[in-house]
Parts: sequence; C-alpha cells; structure tokens
Amino acid sequence: MNKASIVVIGAGISGLSAAYNLAKRGLKDIVVIDKAYITSGSTGRCGAGVRQQWGTALNCILAKKSIDFFMHAKEDLGYEKDIEFKQEGYLILSTSEAEDKVFDKNVQLQNSIGIPSQRLTVEEALKIVPHLNPNAFTSASFCKTDGHINPFLMSEAYYLAAKKLGVTFYFFEEVTEIIVKDKSIEKVITDKRVIYTDKVVNAAGGFAREVGEMAGVEIPVFSENHEILVTEPTKQMQGPMVMSFSKNIYCQQVPHGSFLMGRSNPKALHDHDISSSWQFLDEMAKTVCNILPKVGQLRVIRTWGGSYNISPDHQPFISDTEQLNGYFMACGYSGHGFMFAPITGELITEMVFGDKLEDYAKDLNIKRLDDKNFTDFEQSVV
Amino acid sequence: MDKFDLVIIGGGPAGLSAARIALEAGLSVTLIDRSISLGGQLIKQTHKFFGSKAQYAKTRGIDIANILINDLDEYKDRLHILKEATVVALYKDYVITVYQFNKYFKIQAKSIIVATGASEKVLAFENNDLPGIYGAGAVQTLMNLYGVLPGKEVVMVGSGNIGLIVSYQMIQAGVKVKALLEASDHIGGYLVHASKLVRLGVPILTRTTVKKAYGKNKLEKIQTVELDEQWNYIEGTETEISCDALCISVGLTPLHQLLSMAEIDMIYVNELGGLIPKLKKNYETSMPRVFACGDVTGIEEASSAMVEGKLAGLLASKSLGFIHPEFELLEKNLVEQLNNLRQGPCGVKIRLGLEKAEVNSHD
Ligand SMILES: Cc1cc2nc3c(=O)[nH]c(=O)nc-3n(C[C@H](O)[C@H](O)[C@H](O)COP(=O)(O)OP(=O)(O)OC[C@H]3O[C@@H](n4cnc5c(N)ncnc54)[C@H](O)[C@@H]3O)c2cc1C
Ligand SMILES: Cc1cc2nc3c(=O)[nH]c(=O)nc-3n(C[C@H](O)[C@H](O)[C@H](O)COP(=O)(O)OP(=O)(O)OC[C@H]3O[C@@H](n4cnc5c(N)ncnc54)[C@H](O)[C@@H]3O)c2cc1C
Repeated sequence: MNKASIVVIGAGISGLSAAYNLAKRGLKDIVVIDKAYITSGSTGRCGAGVRQQWGTALNCILAKKSIDFFMHAKEDLGYEKDIEFKQEGYLILSTSEAEDKVFDKNVQLQNSIGIPSQRLTVEEALKIVPHLNPNAFTSASFCKTDGHINPFLMSEAYYLAAKKLGVTFYFFEEVTEIIVKDKSIEKVITDKRVIYTDKVVNAAGGFAREVGEMAGVEIPVFSENHEILVTEPTKQMQGPMVMSFSKNIYCQQVPHGSFLMGRSNPKALHDHDISSSWQFLDEMAKTVCNILPKVGQLRVIRTWGGSYNISPDHQPFISDTEQLNGYFMACGYSGHGFMFAPITGELITEMVFGDKLEDYAKDLNIKRLDDKNFTDFEQSVV
Repeated sequence: MDKFDLVIIGGGPAGLSAARIALEAGLSVTLIDRSISLGGQLIKQTHKFFGSKAQYAKTRGIDIANILINDLDEYKDRLHILKEATVVALYKDYVITVYQFNKYFKIQAKSIIVATGASEKVLAFENNDLPGIYGAGAVQTLMNLYGVLPGKEVVMVGSGNIGLIVSYQMIQAGVKVKALLEASDHIGGYLVHASKLVRLGVPILTRTTVKKAYGKNKLEKIQTVELDEQWNYIEGTETEISCDALCISVGLTPLHQLLSMAEIDMIYVNELGGLIPKLKKNYETSMPRVFACGDVTGIEEASSAMVEGKLAGLLASKSLGFIHPEFELLEKNLVEQLNNLRQGPCGVKIRLGLEKAEVNSHD
C-alpha cells in the first residue's frame, strides 16, 4: 500500500522549500506531486526579484528572513552550481507627492524591522542608474540588499537537496481528489495512484483554490495572468531592479545580459489564462521607453505569461485551517511568492511539527480574514 | 490597425497555391513571407521533380516557384504581397504582428492560412557549433542561390532524399564528398539518387553517425562511430575523417511556433516531424478561421504542399462566404490527388503519421 507521512501538492518553489525543510527536520516518507515538473508553474515564469521594501510589516519580515537565507542558500543546500543571486538592490521610483509620502512611511517601517532601505533624490538615484529618465520620477527608495535570483537554479537547488534527504517526487501526475473523513484526511488520489496520508500541503500555486475545494477547504484566492518579456542580451549596464508602482513596471538586467520586464494589466480576468497579448507588448514598450529610454532600444526575444495567485489583502496564506485537520496551505502570494519561499518552508515545517509560532506568523493564518481589526493591505505591488 | 480578409503566412508552394485559389474565389489576399523572394524551399531546388504531371514533375523546383508566382499576376489588384516581412506573433484575437524593414506593425485578419513550412533538425554532438557545420538546406541555399561553396571536403550525415540530392549537387559543384553517414541500417531516400552517389565513389556508411567534431576556429575533422540496433555507440569503432565541412540532413520539423503561441491544439507526431496542429477535415485548426497547410502540418513534399495549399485556400474562402465557381469539382479532384501522392511504399510513414494525427484530432 502506498503511504506517506505528508503529501505536498505542487513542486513550485513553495512546495520544494516545504519538502526540503520538512525532510531536514527529520520527517520521513514525504511525497511531492506535480502535474508537470519543477518550474512549470509560476516559479519558472516569474521575474524572480527579491526585495524587502514592502508596505506591510508582515511582508517586510517574510522578505527579510528569506533574503537572509538566500545569501547562504548555496552552502546550506549543498548546491554545486551558483544560484546567481545578483544582490545589487531595488530602486523604486515615486512619481508624485502623494507617492513620496507613502515611500517615507514605508522606509520608516522597513528600517524599524532592520531593513537597510533609504530615500533618494532624483540626483542620487541617477548615480545608481544613470540611464533613468530624470523627468519620469520625483524621488526614489533604494535597498542595496534586495536583488534577483535565477528561479530555475534556485528550484533545482531545493529539489536536489530534498531528494538527497529522501523526499519522493512524482512528476507529470495530477492530484484529482482528496478524500476526507471526520474532519481528517484519509487519502490523496492522483491520476496514477492512491496515497494514504493524514497530512497535505497545498502548494498548488495558481490552482490553490481548486486544490482547497478538493478537500472541502475554502480558500478565497484567485488567479490572474501577468505578462513579462525578455530582451536580447547586452553589456551589463543596470545593477538594481528598477520598479514603479504608479507607472506599472519592473525591469531588471539578469547576469546573462538580458533585461526582464513586466507590468500588470488592470483589466485582467480572474482565470487560469497565461497567454501573451500584443497589448502588453505595446504598453510595456511605451512604459520602458519613458522611464529607461536606453533599455527601450533593445530587441524583444520572447514574451510569456504566468499566474499571480491573489489573496484579498495581497499577503500570503501560510497556514493550517480549522476547516480540516492536517491540511496546510502556502498560497495567495499575490505576485511575490518566489522571494518568500525560504520562510514558507520553515513556517510550514513548524506548523506540521506543532511548534509555537513567532508572533508575526499568526497573521499568515487564513483566520485573519474573519478578524475585523485586521486591516493591513499591501499596496506596493506591480 | 489595417484589416484584411485573408492573410497567408508563408509564400512557399503551399502558401502560393492557397493564394491562387482564394483569389480565384474572389477574396482579397495578403501574402507575407520573410524571404527576399517568394517560393519557399523551391527557390534553391535546381533538380527536376518527381511525381505526376499535376504537380509539375520533370520541372526544376526553381521553375515551379516561378510558375506559381506568375500564376498570381492576373489578380494583382486584390493581392497584397509583403516580402522580407517576418510574422513575429499570432494572437488569439486574430492580430498578426509583423517585422519588416526595421519596423514593427500589427494587422487584423478575418481569416488566416498558416503555411510556414519547416526548419531543419540538428544533431547533438561535441563541438556541433564549429563554423563549417551546416544543415543540408543551408548548403543548398548557399550553393544554388548565392553560388557559394560550403567547403572543399565534406561529410554528409543522413541519407534521406535531401541528403542524397544535396550530396550529388555538391559533387556537381566540385566539392569532394568524402562519406555519407546513416544511423539506420538502410538508405532512407530513393535508390536512384543513392546509386548516382555510389557510382561516383561516395562511401555510404550505414549504422554510423558523427560523435565529435574537431577544429580550432573552424571544422578540421570529425570522429564517427558505429551504432548498434538500439542506436547506441559501439565503443572502439571510432574513426576519424578529415573535412572542412559537415552537412547535417537528419530531417525537418514543422515551424509550429505561431500556431502554438495562439494556443491552437497541437499534437506530437514523430512520423510527421514533430508538433503539428490538430486539423479538421477542412484544414481548419482548433481556432476558427485559422487554417494550416504544407510542411507545417507534417513534413511531406512540395507536391502535397501544393495540393494541400489549394484545398486550404478553397475551404478558407468558403468559410468567409466566397464559394469558388468550381468548388465541388476542385475539392473532389484535390482530395484524390492527395490520396494518390500518399500511396505506395514511400507514403507509408506519412499515412501512419496522418492516421495518428486524425485519431487524435477527433477526440
Ligand atoms: C510574470 C510574473 C512575475 C513574477 N515576479 C515575481 C518576482 O519578481 N518576485 C517574486 O517573489 N515573485 C514573483 N512572481 C510570483 C511567483 O512566481 C509566485 O508567487 C511563486 O512562483 C509561487 O510559487 P508556488 O510554488 O507557490 O507556485 P507554482 O510555481 O505555480 O507551483 C505550483 C505547482 O503546483 C502544481 N499543481 C497545481 N495543481 C496541481 C494538482 N492538482 N496536482 C499536482 N500538481 C499541481 C503546478 O503544476 C505547479 O508546478 C511573479 C509571477 C509572475 C507570473
Ligand atoms: C533539399 C530539399 C529537396 C527537396 N526535394 C523535393 C522534391 O524533389 N520533390 C518534392 O515534392 N519536394 C521536395 N522537397 C520538399 C519541399 O521543398 C517541401 O515539402 C515544400 O517546400 C513545403 O512547402 P511549404 O509551402 O509547406 O513550406 P516552405 O517551402 O518551407 O515555405 C514556407 C515559407 O514560409 C516562410 N515563413 C516561415 N515562417 C515565417 C514567418 N514567421 N513569417 C513570414 N514568413 C515565414 C518561409 O520564408 C518560406 O518561404 C525538398 C525539400 C528540400 C529541403
């Protein structure tokens, strides 16, 4: 009979980190199932920026703890290759007085948590990224320990480390049912086998709501298509990720020389669409030509789309649930789940082992939605 | 955005034939090709074609291209040709984006025929990116279109018709063909072509492939190796051949990318060269009013590409309300021609592939 101590559904960066951390803690018979392969979901489609400049304390803490891990991930995971952590900061542009004020407040919050971000004038920002259009923004904030990581290599690093610790992976296998009895999990059914288990981690990314429904657990998240493009490679010319919430752009040069850039579509529907549109290319081109005219000269190699799995307050659920014993979820990252993967795995492990969580982590619970006093909402997103 | 009734992407034998029929049916046609001249693969084919009269047998490929192009002349006023124009994307809302003369622009199509043909497959071996290593089609283009020789001493990999014909053409042009390697245990192409090479003293080495290439800045020699029945290397059988060009002719694969990006239903059929669109009986893909024909729907020949092109043109016109004056006769006749072309031992693989594609297109 097929048995597992826990079944992790989804081998994206969240599921991989959860499986690795559980195994590291000593749990045996861990099974990870993915309907495709590692990096096939949002993880392989993402911008892979990692930043600590957030507008809510919760997001700031999650990001800081994760970046602390990324800085020595290669050694911790015993990975032979390099994860290509380009730690040259995020430069976030403000474009109005109102936004200036929000940035003042954000940086204050970030500093109080120990994040070394700072406010910059236009002139100071131009020293860091000389090809910025000085007329396109009014001020900036900068954090030099933010950066970018190669999502394929990072996923592989987690995957190999988890495998070495004995985790079993089933790829190209889809979880179709979760059988529940008396508020407990009995078994997980895939299109290839039945696995008896009393614990499940829902790390299904864009399909988290559906994988909740399979077990009768209601998770109020939805998916939305976000498009992105990559240019031809060019000589290294931009250290930090350049980002603007009001202009709707993020733009980073990766070590190989290409630029990655994306923006969101305010009219995107709530569905699993991940196709490309010509409208994205048009709008993206206009935006980048305005803010980074030199980058606008490059040729586009490819565009693609991926799902943001969005929660009501743009903060994730890393949570167990009163609805069902043994059911854990890591979802609703709202477009920034790559950078939260290390802390995701650690927290899921603490929950599975029944540890007492740090205070901040309570707000990651899905119960926060019932709490009328909980009104924090993350605005700092593209 | 400019709006067009029927946009044909690709001006090879399939696209040109589709254009002619659609024009006859009364449609306005926009034909887009990324090359300098229309004709697709035909323009580099200086050899005389096989097959039957209806598909210009005994005529040289380049001459067939000119016939097909001249056939469009009388419809100039309804035909809009964009050359040196690459279609870079096809979107689900029938918007086609084009890159021509350093400009990027969009057009809106009501109906589309994709006839983008195929590209050459490559082989994975050490140093396969050394200058001097070519695809067979590239060599043919170099020689027959631009009059440039690929090298002085060449080894060909692959004994399909293309490998055989291009080897022969290289010999005609004064290149020494030192050997022809073939991984399977028999020659893939027609024996008439192979016999010519053997008569000229070219060794045809079956169950042999290239394992490695050597050279500083360009190819200097290759290492070959024999293969067992499972196509694994037989250790100890490595041999070296010095040459300054290696020509790889291991098949073609459909240029499916535009179809795939529009999320049209695709299927992988090995016998037809790779990923092809699932097609309805009328050559329509899963995206309404988007048709496909020629090598992009499975690797065959120019003859079948022309017939498929005509059929797709006929049926695409109908879907837009333009019924060809001889619709019924033409349809019957063309379907018959296609069946004839695919008969016999040379059509076995294609028939098998089409069967697989068909089974999977109706589920
Ligand atoms: C364009 C874009 C840019 C982004 N930029 C950033 C960024 O700069 N920084 C950042 O931190 N984040 C970014 N994100 C967000 C980030 O990609 C995601 O938050 C993160 O990758 C989520 O990881 P995951 O493991 O939770 O989900 P995924 O990577 O989506 O993995 C989920 C996996 O679950 C599998 N699955 C689903 N259902 C089933 C089932 N029933 N059975 C079996 N398997 C199943 C899927 O196949 C998939 O592999 C971006 C996202 C997009 C789309
Ligand atoms: C060396 C060789 C010898 C052959 N000998 C014979 C023979 O003797 N008899 C025979 O019947 N067949 C022969 N064939 C096969 C025949 O040439 C092909 O089957 C036939 O050309 C396929 O026609 P097609 O119109 O589908 O594609 P193609 O001829 O490949 O035409 C496709 C056209 O689409 C254009 N295109 C592709 N993508 C884009 C894009 N994104 N934007 C704009 N334009 C695009 C290309 O530039 C090209 O002009 C031979 C082929 C080769 C390579």
